[in-house]
Amino acid sequence: MTLFVARRLGAMVLTVVLASLLVFVALQALPGDVATQILGRDATPEAVQVLRDQLGLDQPAWRRYLEWVGGAIQGDFGTSLASGEAVGSELALHLRNTLLIAVLAIAGGLLFSLVLGVVAGLYRDRWPDHLISGASLVGMSVPEFVVATVLVLLFSVTIPVFPAVVLDDADATVGQLLPAIWLPALALSIALAAYVVRMMRASVIDVMASEYVQTARLRGLGTGRVVLRHALPNAVLPTLNVIALNVAWLVGGVVVVETVFNYPGIGTLMIDAVYDRDLPVLQAIAVLSAVVYALCNLAADVAAMGLNPRLRAGGRSTA
Amino acid sequence: MTGSELTVAGTPAQGTLRTVWAGIRSSRAATIGLAIVALHVLVAIAAPLLTSYAPTQSVPAEALAGVSWDHLAGTDQYGRDVLTRVLHGGRFALVVCALSTVAAVGLGTVVGCFVALRGGWADNVVMRLVDSVLAVPAILALLVVVTALGTGTWVVVAAITIVYVPGVVRVVRAAAQSVVPLEYVTAARARGERRWSILRRELLPNVADVVAVELAMRASWAALLVSSLSFLGFGANPPTPDWGLMVAENRTALTVVPMATLAPIVALATFVVGLNLAADGLAKAWGIDRFRRDGR
Amino acid sequence: MRRPAATGAPITRRSLLATGIGLAAGAMTGCSTAGPATTALPEQARAGSARAGGELRIARPPASNAETLDPASSLCAYEYLGALYNRLTRIDRDGQVVPDLAAEWDVTEDAMRWTFRIRDDVSFHDGRPCTAHDAVYTIRRLLDPDLASPQQGVLAPLMEPGGVTAADDRTLVIELATPNAELPSLFTGYNCYVVPDGSGDDIGVAGIGTGPFRLDSFTAAGRGRVVANDAYWEGRPTLDSIAFFSIADQQARTNALLADQVDLLSQTNLDFVTARVVNASDNATIARVRNGQWYTIPMLTTVEPFTDPDVRRAVKLAYDPQRVLDVAAQGAGDLGHDNPVPPDNPLWVDHALERDPDQARALLRAAGYDGLTVDMYTSSYDPVFTPMTLAFKDSVADAGITVNVRNASADSYYSQVWMQQPLMATYWYTGRPVDQLLNQIFRGGSSYNETAWADDTFDAILDDARREIDDDKRRTLYQDAQRYIVDHSGSITPMFADRLVGLSRDVVNYYEHGFEFDYLNIGLADHRGERS
Repeated sequence: MTLFVARRLGAMVLTVVLASLLVFVALQALPGDVATQILGRDATPEAVQVLRDQLGLDQPAWRRYLEWVGGAIQGDFGTSLASGEAVGSELALHLRNTLLIAVLAIAGGLLFSLVLGVVAGLYRDRWPDHLISGASLVGMSVPEFVVATVLVLLFSVTIPVFPAVVLDDADATVGQLLPAIWLPALALSIALAAYVVRMMRASVIDVMASEYVQTARLRGLGTGRVVLRHALPNAVLPTLNVIALNVAWLVGGVVVVETVFNYPGIGTLMIDAVYDRDLPVLQAIAVLSAVVYALCNLAADVAAMGLNPRLRAGGRSTA
Repeated sequence: MTGSELTVAGTPAQGTLRTVWAGIRSSRAATIGLAIVALHVLVAIAAPLLTSYAPTQSVPAEALAGVSWDHLAGTDQYGRDVLTRVLHGGRFALVVCALSTVAAVGLGTVVGCFVALRGGWADNVVMRLVDSVLAVPAILALLVVVTALGTGTWVVVAAITIVYVPGVVRVVRAAAQSVVPLEYVTAARARGERRWSILRRELLPNVADVVAVELAMRASWAALLVSSLSFLGFGANPPTPDWGLMVAENRTALTVVPMATLAPIVALATFVVGLNLAADGLAKAWGIDRFRRDGR
Repeated sequence: MRRPAATGAPITRRSLLATGIGLAAGAMTGCSTAGPATTALPEQARAGSARAGGELRIARPPASNAETLDPASSLCAYEYLGALYNRLTRIDRDGQVVPDLAAEWDVTEDAMRWTFRIRDDVSFHDGRPCTAHDAVYTIRRLLDPDLASPQQGVLAPLMEPGGVTAADDRTLVIELATPNAELPSLFTGYNCYVVPDGSGDDIGVAGIGTGPFRLDSFTAAGRGRVVANDAYWEGRPTLDSIAFFSIADQQARTNALLADQVDLLSQTNLDFVTARVVNASDNATIARVRNGQWYTIPMLTTVEPFTDPDVRRAVKLAYDPQRVLDVAAQGAGDLGHDNPVPPDNPLWVDHALERDPDQARALLRAAGYDGLTVDMYTSSYDPVFTPMTLAFKDSVADAGITVNVRNASADSYYSQVWMQQPLMATYWYTGRPVDQLLNQIFRGGSSYNETAWADDTFDAILDDARREIDDDKRRTLYQDAQRYIVDHSGSITPMFADRLVGLSRDVVNYYEHGFEFDYLNIGLADHRGERS
């Protein structure tokens, strides 16, 4: 097990390095650089040259990349080319803001879909199941931007309960952001819930059919207690797993939702950085994303090994 | 829980096509789903025969007209017939969706089977690459590809393929790995058969079910993605009638001519529901848990 | 880019995602005005008595994360400038150049030596009096190649830094290197706001000017606030303060207005449908900036087939400007007839090519381009680009020209398509003084010459005009230049569209034209007293 974890940690480092390298190479393929992007129509040759000199862009890209890597190893993620702020602190602020809505969305969405999923699982192939499964099928088939926009329409414009957009900057306090996090979180959680409901349903059906639940029922436990004691814990773990493993994919939803609400999170930071060709910021985001992804993978594998003795012996790891 | 968790209940049957067909026949959801998809394909092909307008013909004087006998779903802000555009609107989405899904799943399947069979350093290298691509947010990858290459059918196909291949590799490799240690593969190896021939004759038929589910599932995601890209201005070029583009063009007029936005949304949603039903049905028929897996 | 800029286009940052994502949140604003497409929008902003005080909330697109309050910089945060600073001259509502910090000016017969008298009752926000030395410092900064101000290309050919001097505290003297009778108009540019002598290092964050408001706080691409300058030399502004919020996504900006989170959308031209939705809402309405948007279709004259003047002329004859105006701006604006000077400008000349697709076809055939096929680029950068492109495409088809529409990414539209692709849709803000307009965008070799057109005859007309100190004769020369552009250049100007600005119904006395914004008189209506 220790050996396994050690090997996985090694693989993880490799993944992170490769991801950072991929992003670097991909960015080189983008037209323009930070100077032409920031200046836009004012990108006269003179203005571009002045800005390039200021930002040290005349050094070859790979050299700047290596310097960045050198700094990053020591925990210094460099300076944003566009804003001139330290990337580390900028990233931390945006990450905090994103976590604020993401955690709320995952917790809320999970709770909501947990209930629906259990109901659907218990009433398998009867009308509550059909209703819930049908709704989640539709939920899966409607793009996120539609959901987010409809929410703004309903709860900010028609019935003004929540702000339509966030007017605060990234360094606002949590208290200042508090009124604004509900709609983005809701939009995210609806997109998430459609999938989770179906996962939960499948898990519940599996668990309810398993031997120990059958045994528990034979011992005379009521459905409610069986669900609470056995089905839920066994169904939540794999669900959490899938969420963890799709972290990189979830970022897509975060980007869309943050853009609709002008929310100062990691998604908007990323979009801005792509527009500005802000290499240090994008590198830091890529590394952060890769680390989170790899850690989630590792945790999931370790958890799976804990649950499944067969794997512990063989260690037929796949990734 | 990585790809290895993906369970293939029931012994894989022999014969690729027959497996898939049997799966479809045995599932009502899959039948309905594929029927919906087939209907969309038919409509897209026959669109010019179904209405008397041209999809790009604009009449400013009739802009933003409501529902009437002349325009069953009204007109948009340039005075184009909405129904005509919706009927034609599936063409771009269907073509891109089909091409990119087939390309991604095809490429992913071959690579996945190959590394499962080959093992060793090739496996390691490919999986590290796959992992690192999956670790980068897909939206970032998409943004980069379309920004670097521009817009249009082929760029969108390429972008979606690039984003989807690693996930397919992971899933197929996991499925193939459970086949590799089996006797007939070992036997084939002992007979000295070449790797490609083992891959073709022994591996592919046995992962056909996984691949078919993957195909249907990816197609549903691709349909959403294509529409999102069009919606964001990276897919179809105007004035091409395309659902995503139509939503983008007409969304502001939602209160004035709601049909111009709602009709393409409904068309898109039914298409995706069809694909989802097909994926569901196939997965259920073969006992593949389509939700409890990773690697989108 | 996302800025108003010398060049005039505000950008929706993140517009690449942005355009899409918004699904017109506004669209459902509680109003069921599903009327005909002709539902009228207000012609004018609300005028009337404002209550004294109050805070106006303005949503603006951030220029970039690198924005600064330095007016000379190409990265300046445009909205703050007019509130914080003054220029030497400005343009009044009739399009005339009038005094701002310079009370009066005079020029020698040869148009070589200009003398500006600076007002003596003006102080900077830090209490220092504003003098001719500050003006000298400001102009020399604009000339500094290391600063690379957008206005540098306009002013540097005319004068040396050493030629700009202060005769005394009140007198600014400029010895030109080449004659120019239009110099005062060139100081109306928005990069020309006067900053205190020696403030270059910290003006970008300090924002100390002579304007009606002084800086309270500023964050690049973030929020900021300015408060009334009680000692302002034109009198105290109506408002107590203005809060600026940066919202990158245009749809999100509109939503903020509809949800009453902001009062005014700066640098945001709403498309006609959104404008109707805003106008139908309870708390917001629309004001027009007449002819505010100068839409152009530049034909790159260095690329086949537009190297051939006959082909350029054929394309101009082939398209239907009326159709473009009707489809793209729903008729809200004026026809351009390929003349870059807007019809409400005093120097405008009425000269147009009569549309004639048959003659266009004949010209093309003679030039060997029968059945011409070209790519034309558009982008979600501005909502009018695509309908303009489609209307253009439809109407040139009458002359046998096939246009293939290409949609380009908004974020690199101005770095990769503009001045690179032979045919595209774009726009500028109207408001440049005519001399600057013609020299900056049409003179051979200028950095902003978007058709890369270089014509010695035309440049000579401009030189003559600059030398001519007789106003009438000079006007005739500028009109000759306009005619020459219509007949020969690569620039197509189908229309000047009204900018449709979204603002709260509480806002009164909003006035904006070109790069002029009336910060002094804008206010909030009487009844709204209690809002923080």
